[in-house]
Parts: sequence; structure tokens; C-alpha cells
Amino acid sequence: MAPTSHTKPASTALINCKLLLIGNSSVGKSSLLLRFSDEQWLPEDESSATIGVDFRVHKMEVKGKKVKLSIWDTAGQERFRTITSSYYRGAQGIILVYDVSNRESFDALPRWYSELETYVSNSVVKILVGNKVDKEFSRQVSTAEGEAFAKRMSSLFIEASAKTAIGVNEAFQEVVEKILDTPELWEGVKGTRGGQNTGNGRGGVPGGVQVVGLSDQQGQAQEGSCAC
Amino acid sequence: MPTELPYAADAEVSLSYDELDVLRLQHEKELAQAHVTIQTKFNYAWGLVKSPMREHQVEGVRLLQEIYRAEPTRRRECLYYLALGHYKMGNFEEAKRFNALLLEKEPTNLQAQSLGQLIDKGVAREGYIGMALVGGAAALGTILLATLVRRARR
Ligand SMILES: Nc1nc2c(ncn2[C@@H]2O[C@H](COP(=O)(O)OP(=O)(O)OP(=O)(O)O)[C@@H](O)[C@H]2O)c(=O)[nH]1
Ligand SMILES: [Mg+2]
Repeated sequence: MAPTSHTKPASTALINCKLLLIGNSSVGKSSLLLRFSDEQWLPEDESSATIGVDFRVHKMEVKGKKVKLSIWDTAGQERFRTITSSYYRGAQGIILVYDVSNRESFDALPRWYSELETYVSNSVVKILVGNKVDKEFSRQVSTAEGEAFAKRMSSLFIEASAKTAIGVNEAFQEVVEKILDTPELWEGVKGTRGGQNTGNGRGGVPGGVQVVGLSDQQGQAQEGSCAC
Repeated sequence: MPTELPYAADAEVSLSYDELDVLRLQHEKELAQAHVTIQTKFNYAWGLVKSPMREHQVEGVRLLQEIYRAEPTRRRECLYYLALGHYKMGNFEEAKRFNALLLEKEPTNLQAQSLGQLIDKGVAREGYIGMALVGGAAALGTILLATLVRRARR
């Protein structure tokens, strides 16, 4: 695990916060994270699909508080589904991403939400991000539709572009603000050294076994490894 | 603000006993049925490689190598986790070799770049320890010599 314990005086104490990025492959999760944490953008043909999971630490200030974000960027490819489910535990914020120019990635959202039902508590803050708004000309999901769906799923909503940076900082800022405003997410966290960070993956969150639904996943795996 | 690199999430986070057990049991079940799907095998291998126990890591690497050979479509993740497994076992040369194969195919893969830096750090750390040992031995030699000299003088 990344270093997360802080023995600094309370005034400068960092608040640890765990965020998770999920959504279909290629919707731009890693690109959003790279834009947010490093203010970078890789040319379209230079980015690689995430293997399993990637991780970044980012410090920011929200409402005068210093926050240390550990951001888990999961692989959207089907074959990593079992693997990535093990990272949900202890997340306080979930960033669900779809691609506004790809209908399929929007239609897949109910499945991602049902995954959340299995793995995280109800009080977790969710934000739905419609990425790639720079591709306005090939848009397949309207803003209104995205917004309505997010509302139905009690999620925050924003449209963004990792390419142009539109909406990217706002997306992260909004989740973190809402997390700080949700006391349930901080119960039982106080006093535990290293805060909320899941550390060794045994963050003391109910339901120790996170790897479930294997049989379900097998079927999809076949699909993923088609005889091309 | 740049991220604190290098970092490989899977190098330090392991599964709980129960989680690994779920993966192991699925693998065993399919072994008993004489047909193990690649997905099951990969999941289990990944869990093993993440484990802090060396015998798990060794077994994980063995399975990954089999998958690498059998399933060309899964080569990139096999290379990554093979590099990671060897890194965890301290086999830095092997780790480098597998990671280099991945970087050859995907030169801008940030995960592989990060893992590469981690491996280099491991090599450097090993170098320091080596030097510290040599240095320590030299220091010890000096003390011994001093004692002998002192004794001889008496
Ligand atoms: N035009 C445009 N392209 C984008 C944007 N964000 C990402 N992309 C491109 O979409 C492709 C996939 O981006 P990734 O960030 O790798 O997608 P991902 O969601 O992390 O995919 P997985 O790791 O497989 O789950 C890459 O070619 C990116 O360059 C965006 O805002 N606009
Ligand atoms: Mg990615």
C-alpha cells in the first residue's frame, strides 16, 4: 500500500479518501485520471487499456481541508472483472464513466450500478461522468438523458473531456466535497491509523469476501476471449 | 501535482485469505472436472502473485507462464503480472525481461513504465545492501586490526 499514515498535528492533518473509477473499457477512465493528477494527455494511439488496476495518489485542498486521494483506476475489460471487484472495498467515492459518443457504454451502466450494490455501502458518493464531450459531432447520448439517468441512480452528474480538460477537475472536486459532507462515510474511520485507505485490502468493511459471482463471470469470459 | 511514482498497486496489496480461497476453490473444481478455463486460471494466478507468501508467488508465476504460452490474447497481462511476480520474489533480472517485452509492444504503457522504475529501484536497493555489507566487513576488519595492534602493544 502507499504510505497513508500521518502523524502530523491536527491542523495540517490530511484526510484520506478512497476513490474508484469504473465503467466500460475505452470510455476514458485512465485518461481522466491522467488529466486530473498529472495534467497530461496522451495521444489517442499511445494509451493502453489498463491491466487489472492502476493506482494514483493525489493531494488537493477542498473547503480548506487537505485531502489525500487514493484513486483506483480499474480495467474495464470483461476479463478483469473478478480482479477489479476486489478493489471496491472501502471506497468512499465512485466515479462511473461512460463515453457520450458510445451508446453501448451508456447502456452498460445498470450493470456497473448493480456491481456497486454488491460491493459498496449505500452511502458511498457516486458521480456519473459523460466523457469525450469534445466529440460533440458524434454524440450518441444527450446531456439530458445522462442527467436524468444519474438522478434516478442518486448520483451526481457531469460531462467532461479528458482531452480538452473540460469538467475534469470539477468532477473530482464535486465527489470529494460530497464525501466530506457525508458523515456516514467517516464513521469508524476516526482513530484507525492510516484512515480509510484500504491498505492490505482488509479494511474491516463488512463482507470480507469480495470475490463473488464467479460463475456469472465465466460466461462473460468466454465472450471476451472469442475465437478471433 | 504529479503523482508519487513509481507504484504498482498489485505489488503491495494482497488478497484476504478468504478471497484467495474463492479463487483457489474454483480452480480446483475445474481441475477435478479436467477442464480449467483460462479465466479461472488467470484469476487464481493473479491472486497467488499478489500473495506475500513466496510459494504462492512461485505457483502464480508458473500458472502465468502456462497461460502466456496457451493464450496469445492474454499475453500483455501475463507479461505484466510475470514481471510483477518476479519483482516481488526479488528476481529483478527476470522481472526486467518480462516488463521489457511488454514495453516493446506498448512503449507508452504507463503501468509498465512505473513497474520498470520500481524494478530499477529494487536493483539499486540490492546494490546498496551489497555495498553496505562490503563496507561493514571493511569496518569490522579495521576494528579487529586495531584490537590486534592494541594487544600486540601490551
Ligand atoms: N476524443 C477523446 N478521446 C478520449 C477522451 N478520453 C479518452 N479518450 C481516448 O479513448 C481511448 C481509451 O481511453 P482510456 O483512458 O485508456 O480508457 P479506459 O476507460 O481507461 O479503458 P480501460 O483501461 O480498458 O478500462 C484512448 O484512445 C484515449 O485517448 C476524451 O475525452 N476525448
Ligand atoms: Mg484504463
